[in-house]
Amino acid sequence: MSTILQQLINSVSVGGLYALLAVGYALIYSVFDFTNFAFGGIMMVSAFAGYFSTQLGLGTIPAMFVAMVAGVALSVAVELLAYRPMRKRNAKRLFLMISAMGVNIFLTNLFLCVFGANLRTLPSGFASNTITLWGVQVGTVDIVAFVTSAISLAILCFFLYKTRSGIAVRASAIDMSTAGLMGINVNRISLIVFVISGITAAIAGMFFGMKYTVYPGMGAMSNKAFIASVIGGLGSLPGAVLGGFVLGILEVLVAGYISATYRDLFSFGAMIIVLMFMPNGLIGKGDQNKL
Amino acid sequence: MYIISIIVTACTNIISVIGLALLTGYTGMFSLGHAGFMCIGAYTAVLLNKYLMVPYVLALILGGCGATLVSLIIGYPTLRNKLRGDYFAICMLGFGTIVRLILNNMNNPVTNGALGLTNIPKLTTLWSTLLFTAALVFFMWNFVHSQYGKNCVAIQQQEVAAEMMGVRIVRTKLLSFAISAFYCGVAGGQLAFWLQYISPATFSDTRSNDFLATLVTGGTNSITGPFLAAAILTSMLEYLRSLVNWRLVVYGLLYILIMRFRPEGIMGYKEFSLKKTIKFFKELPQNWPGYMEKFKEKLTGRRKRS
Repeated sequence: MSTILQQLINSVSVGGLYALLAVGYALIYSVFDFTNFAFGGIMMVSAFAGYFSTQLGLGTIPAMFVAMVAGVALSVAVELLAYRPMRKRNAKRLFLMISAMGVNIFLTNLFLCVFGANLRTLPSGFASNTITLWGVQVGTVDIVAFVTSAISLAILCFFLYKTRSGIAVRASAIDMSTAGLMGINVNRISLIVFVISGITAAIAGMFFGMKYTVYPGMGAMSNKAFIASVIGGLGSLPGAVLGGFVLGILEVLVAGYISATYRDLFSFGAMIIVLMFMPNGLIGKGDQNKL
Repeated sequence: MYIISIIVTACTNIISVIGLALLTGYTGMFSLGHAGFMCIGAYTAVLLNKYLMVPYVLALILGGCGATLVSLIIGYPTLRNKLRGDYFAICMLGFGTIVRLILNNMNNPVTNGALGLTNIPKLTTLWSTLLFTAALVFFMWNFVHSQYGKNCVAIQQQEVAAEMMGVRIVRTKLLSFAISAFYCGVAGGQLAFWLQYISPATFSDTRSNDFLATLVTGGTNSITGPFLAAAILTSMLEYLRSLVNWRLVVYGLLYILIMRFRPEGIMGYKEFSLKKTIKFFKELPQNWPGYMEKFKEKLTGRRKRS
C-alpha cells in the first residue's frame, strides 16, 4: 500500500512538471498553430543557466530566477530571429517546424560540444531531504515541484482569463488576423506568449535538473510534454494539464511495475492509442478547440 | 579502397535522402526518425541472409518491404483523419528512439541486443551499389513526375484544395511514407552488407538529422538537389573528420538560416541539368552586369521597404 502511495506522489510531481511544459507547448500551438520544437532546447539552456549560477554560489531561488531570465531571453530571441521573419513571409508550417527543430538541434549540440555529455547534479537546499507524509517517505523536491507547478498554472490561468492581455492572447488564439483587425497588437501578444513559454521551460528545467540531472540531452524530456498535450488535446490548456498528469502517472507506474527501460515505449504507445481512438485528445473538442 | 568506401556511403545516403525527399519535400511531412527504417531494413536483410540463405538482392528488397510494413503500422494512426503534421513529426521522433530501445533490449542470440550483428558477409560491391542507386533514383524520378507525384505536391501546397480536386489525402500520404520507408530500408541493408557490422547505435538519431540536413540544403522540391547535396556533404565530411562533432551544430544553424532566407533549398524547385549549367557558365561573362544590376535592385528594394 505504501509503495503505491509513494509511486503516486512521485507520479503527481512528474506529472505537474509535464503539465507545466505541456502548457508551454499548448500556448504557442494555439496562438501560432505550429509546434515549437525548440522548447526542449530552451528548457535545457535554462537548466544549465540555473546550474552555473548555483556553481557561482547563488541559492536555489535566485538560481531559479537566473534560469527564468535565460529561458525568457532565449525564447524571445528565437521568436524574433527565427520565427517572426518567417511568419511575415507567410512561410509554410513545415518550414517553421524545420526551423524550430533546427534551433533545438543547434542548442543541444552546441552545449554537447562545449560542456560535454556529463551529467551534472543541480545542488539544491532540499534535493535529498525527505519528509514523512501519512507514513510514506516523500522527497521534498517532489512536493516543491508539485506546489510550484500548481501555483504557476494557477497564475497563468488567472492571467489568461482575468487580465486584459490574457484575453487578448485568447482572442489571438481563436483568430489571429481578426484579433489584429480589432486593434490587438499581435506582435506584443507573440512576445507575451513566448515569455510565458520561456518561464514554464525554465521552471520545469530547474526541477528536472534537481530531480534527475542537468545534461545537454535533457531537452528530449519536452517531447513527453508534447505527448502529454496530445493526450489531453493539442492546443487546449486544461487538456495539457490533464494530459501531463495522466502521462506522469502512466510513466511512473510503468517504471515501477513493468520496466524502466520501456517507459518511453509506453508513452509513445499511449499517444498512438489516443490518436487512434480519440484523435482530438481526452478533452479536446475538435480542430477549432483553442485555449 | 578509401574512395570506394566514400562512394558506397554516399550512395546509401543518396538513396535514403531521396526517399525522404518524397516524404518531406514533395508531400510536406516532417520526419526525424528515418534512421529507424534503415535499422529495420538492415536487420531484416542481414538476418534473412544469415538464417534463411536469402540472396543479397532479394534480402535488400525484403528488408525494404519490412520497413514499409512497419511504416504502414505507424502511418495509419498518425496520418488518418487528416491529423496535423505535428503528430506525425513527434511520432517519428520517438520512432527512431524506440526501434533502438527495443533492439538494444532484445538479448537473444539472433539479434544480439546492444552488441549488434557481426560477421556479416561483404556482399555490397561498388557496382551493385551504383546500380541500385541508379535504379532507385530512376524510379523516384518517374514517380514524382507521374500523377502520384503531382498528387503529393498538391497535398504539400494546399491540403484542402487538393482534397477538393479529388486527391485522396490519407492514401497518398501513406503511399509516400511507405515508399520513403522502403528506400531507407534498402539503404540500411546495403550499408549493413558493406560495414559487415551493425548495432542499434549504427542507426542513431544523428543519422536522421544528417538526412534532413542534406535534404533541406539540397532543396525540398527536387530530386537532383538532394542527390547532389548528399554526394557533396558525405564526401566533405570525410575530409573534415576532425570537425565531425560540430557538424550537428552547423546543421542546426543551417536549418534556421535556410528556412529563413531560402526555404526552398539551394536547388529549389529546379532540377539540375548539365546542359543548362554549361550554358550558364558560357554566358556568364555577358550576363554578369545584368546579374549585378538585379542584385543591386534587390538590395535597395529591400532597404526601401523596411
